[in-house]
Amino acid sequence: MKSLLVKTFERFRSAISNTALIFQRELLLLLSDLGVTILLLIVPVVYPFLYSLIYYPEVVRDLPVAVVDLSQSADSRAFIRKLNATPDLDIRYECISMEDAVEKFRKRENRGIILIPETYSSDLALGRQAVVSLYADMEFFLYYKAMVMGAGLVSIEEGNDIQVKRLMNSGLSERQAVVFSNPFVISGNAIANPAGGFASYGIPAALMLIIQQTLVLAIGIMAGTARERHKLGTLIPCDLRRMGTLRMVLGKSAAYFLIYAVMCIYMLGAIPAWFGYPDKAGFSQMVSLMVPYLLSAIFFGLSLSVFFKNRETPMLLYLFLSFPLLFLSGIIWPLSNMSPVWQAVRSIFPSSHAMLGYIKMNSLGAGISETNHEIAMLWRLTAFYFVMACLVYKTQITKVKKLVLNAGHKHNPTIPAL
Amino acid sequence: MNTYIKAIAGVSGREINRMTSRPLYFLAVVLLPLLSLLFFVSLMKEGVPVKLPIAVVDYDHTALSAKFRRTMDATPGSSVVMTPATEHEALSELRKGNIYGYVVLPHNLQADIMNGSQPVVRFYYQNGLLIAGGLIQNDLTVTLHTLSAGVNKQKREAMGQDEVTVYAAIQPVKPDAHLLFNPETNYPVYVTSIMLPIMLQIFILMITVYSIGIEIKERTSREWLRISGKSVTVALTGKLLPYTAIFFILTMFSNLLLFRVLMIPLNTGIIYLVLLSLLYVLSYQAIAVFFVGLLPMMRHSLNLAAFYGILALTLCGFSFPIEHMPEVFRLWAEAFPVRHYMHIFQSQILAGFDFAYAAPSYLKFLLFLLLPFAIIFRLKSALIYQNFIEKIQITDAA
Repeated sequence: MKSLLVKTFERFRSAISNTALIFQRELLLLLSDLGVTILLLIVPVVYPFLYSLIYYPEVVRDLPVAVVDLSQSADSRAFIRKLNATPDLDIRYECISMEDAVEKFRKRENRGIILIPETYSSDLALGRQAVVSLYADMEFFLYYKAMVMGAGLVSIEEGNDIQVKRLMNSGLSERQAVVFSNPFVISGNAIANPAGGFASYGIPAALMLIIQQTLVLAIGIMAGTARERHKLGTLIPCDLRRMGTLRMVLGKSAAYFLIYAVMCIYMLGAIPAWFGYPDKAGFSQMVSLMVPYLLSAIFFGLSLSVFFKNRETPMLLYLFLSFPLLFLSGIIWPLSNMSPVWQAVRSIFPSSHAMLGYIKMNSLGAGISETNHEIAMLWRLTAFYFVMACLVYKTQITKVKKLVLNAGHKHNPTIPAL
Repeated sequence: MNTYIKAIAGVSGREINRMTSRPLYFLAVVLLPLLSLLFFVSLMKEGVPVKLPIAVVDYDHTALSAKFRRTMDATPGSSVVMTPATEHEALSELRKGNIYGYVVLPHNLQADIMNGSQPVVRFYYQNGLLIAGGLIQNDLTVTLHTLSAGVNKQKREAMGQDEVTVYAAIQPVKPDAHLLFNPETNYPVYVTSIMLPIMLQIFILMITVYSIGIEIKERTSREWLRISGKSVTVALTGKLLPYTAIFFILTMFSNLLLFRVLMIPLNTGIIYLVLLSLLYVLSYQAIAVFFVGLLPMMRHSLNLAAFYGILALTLCGFSFPIEHMPEVFRLWAEAFPVRHYMHIFQSQILAGFDFAYAAPSYLKFLLFLLLPFAIIFRLKSALIYQNFIEKIQITDAA
């Protein structure tokens, strides 16, 4: 009885100390490998910085536009002044003809043309509707938006002023005229990102994706390198102390978790503070999202790592996924318009849930209960990929044991071959 | 001359042998690029997102507020999926991600409009997701202005004004938006047209660096050079030719998807399309060769290629316009063939402008092709002396 207790205790102790050994060794290996160190410590530091600098202007202001003023009247000049006053547009050229403006567009000197017709002033004088043509460039969504929203709002405003003036001329008081032309006031409000900044929108999501991608690549590279370094080309080294599924998976995971817990402080704490990105989420909310995210990403990486036979393979076979994952996250393409097939594909990647969850918490100020769905999905993925990782390592360990046994038979003539 | 062709054919034959010896090549050269192309074509093939879910918080409960709600539901851009009792609930639904925006119809809306006390109708949109938020903002602004004009119109008609006069009076200045040259109003088509080449460039870069780097890593570079008659030009041409062919076919396939499946209008001769696709593949191969020559140890050149390939999405200037980035990035963006590809695509292929306007971009493509000559001797010495090999330690016993 006592011996059984002692035995169990001994086994338990060795499991703990071996897990600690694997953890320590993985950490050492990670940090002594320049390529992996770059991936784990440099990429997450440099990319957010670089992207923040690239997107520093945040919004498209002063889009260069050409105006073709065929009316050449006081009315049309007043309209142009108003156009120029909007932050979206910059009237850079006043062209005498449409041909002139188009030629400038071909040379990419302007990004849109506004045509004021010859009849503009007379139309207004005679109470007819004056039509102003906007020729927008669809090449960039932000240009199109600046042009159509900018010039569209100015036309509405100008039209409104004219309407109010006419109503006042017909005998209404100013207040009456305003109410008549605008029966109710429309007020549009942005929830999160009121300036519509591109960096505030894109970078938080990119941060989340970078975490998963660097983790999976690093784990894959370590696995490929391990196969190159081990005598028999196996994922698991021929070392009996390290032949336990749980201690292997947990020991390795702990090493990555530790590194990323530290990196998260920089990526999710320092970067938003330095560049003024939204940071509405509190510490406890952050933890409740990041713990399952890191765990599921690590186990996902460990499960995939069995496919990477060489050091280079993850770069060739996994890196490209960054782009599709960005589009699957629901940040760019609305989930409500994604086909069920892609929704299903989307849901097996931890990054999809974490990116959306992070935007909700951080930009919209959603609480844990409002991010329930994402957090639950991340825990489910954690459980699923943990089992997968264990299965993967279990089969690899069995394989090594068999190989070692057979190798023993070959080299040891005293044991008869099977 | 003939001996050169023979040597190149020999090297190509050797490379094809290598390609068929491992499934890795099939995955990285054919299967994954194909899947990526099909993914992007399929994801956004429906066009501009329609019927985005919104909510209406109706505090008024009158015939007018019901009419407002129905009108908002009927617009192509949005669909009223719920009518929460309070704003607080609506905000919570927005945070949960069930809706992208909501409208608040205040108490006494109908009465206040009738007696001219100008109530305020507020709407909120989720701008953390820029595209969905922008669409909702646009859609609700237009719809509410239409509703406002509708009330105005009713009053004027009651005063006996005829319809033409009413429209001119309500909206004296009417903006009429046209698309300049770009015939496609469908924004996702533009996204797809740039994502396909961006996916292809990453595969071209990685596999080119790998196919050269692996010769150094596995110490087969001398044999490779020997078959090539000790000419590094022959060696590279022969090795990269099979990839050029495959990626050219893939690029033409992505063109087929764009112009025949997504039906983007093609406003230039097919010959330019062929030329552009070929230049695109070749320039990325040239850049990859340059990377290997610069850093002959494969792990480093692969990292460099990955860094450069991922950055293409940002610096091709498609997500955020280059002209609005800080100066240094404007110059850096010139170093990405996909940026010049995009320019040619927009100007010559979509808008149908003359070749002359796109010519500078074609010239820049040619500059990329010169890159390998900058490092050719360094690469040759790396192939001969194999002095960039990482030491592999056997580490089983720790």
